Amino acid sequence: MGNNIPGLEQAYHFLFVGALVFLAAMVILCLIRAIIGPRIADRVVAVNMMGTMVMVIIAILALFLKEGYLVDICLIYAMISFLAVIILTKVYMGVYAECMQHKGGRILRAVPPKSESAQPGAVGIEGTEPGAGGIADILPDKKQCGEEM
Amino acid sequence: MAVLEWIRFLAGAALLVMGLGIFVIEMIGVFRFRYVLNRMHAAAMGDTLGIGCCMLGLIVICGWNFTSLKLFLVILFLWLSSPTSSHLIARLEVTTDEEPEKHYRRMVMRDGHAVEPEGEKPQNL
Repeated sequence: MGNNIPGLEQAYHFLFVGALVFLAAMVILCLIRAIIGPRIADRVVAVNMMGTMVMVIIAILALFLKEGYLVDICLIYAMISFLAVIILTKVYMGVYAECMQHKGGRILRAVPPKSESAQPGAVGIEGTEPGAGGIADILPDKKQCGEEM
Repeated sequence: MAVLEWIRFLAGAALLVMGLGIFVIEMIGVFRFRYVLNRMHAAAMGDTLGIGCCMLGLIVICGWNFTSLKLFLVILFLWLSSPTSSHLIARLEVTTDEEPEKHYRRMVMRDGHAVEPEGEKPQNL
């Protein structure tokens, strides 16, 4: 990149270093989101975003250092980050199911139909028919959930 | 020849900076939305368009060789894996949500439009 052309080598250096510093700042912001995220899903989303940005960092570094094999690490990082998200969601759903079994209740609390949702023509924003339990209807039952995990 | 190299640099840099700009938009969205299912909308943008633009810029800079193919494979893998992980995260959120009435706004269908139900002040979601 930019061999024997005056100025071009400095331009590539400036571009890559600038992009790396910028992405480092974005990763720190992602970390802040992961810390303050009030729900578990917030944290998982933030970790997923961090994985994406680290992939770009590794790819830029591969070109910056002129080491092509670093891109393989980028590919493996993508796969591991995908696996981490799957395992985290599965583990947290299992933990939640166990918690609910200990309480002895139904795994998914049925939403009591609101009074205004009983009128005809009302729809929930999630696209289910109202008055029939709301969001709980589209969720798997306790037995199904147990079999799935 | 030098002119062609400069054109390649400018094209690659433009694509890379565009990808970084999409990352900025993603971060603004993630910090400004108030609920996970809204935040996921912003986060998925960086997973597809952001990394796509960045990798495309790097491919332009790198040229026609094996490294470019691997960079393209990263994009291809993310196209497949990003919707899957988004679906799983959304299902986790919907399953473990203890108080959905706090997070979803109930709308009423009237004349083909979804409107706020009357006699009820708009919820601050």
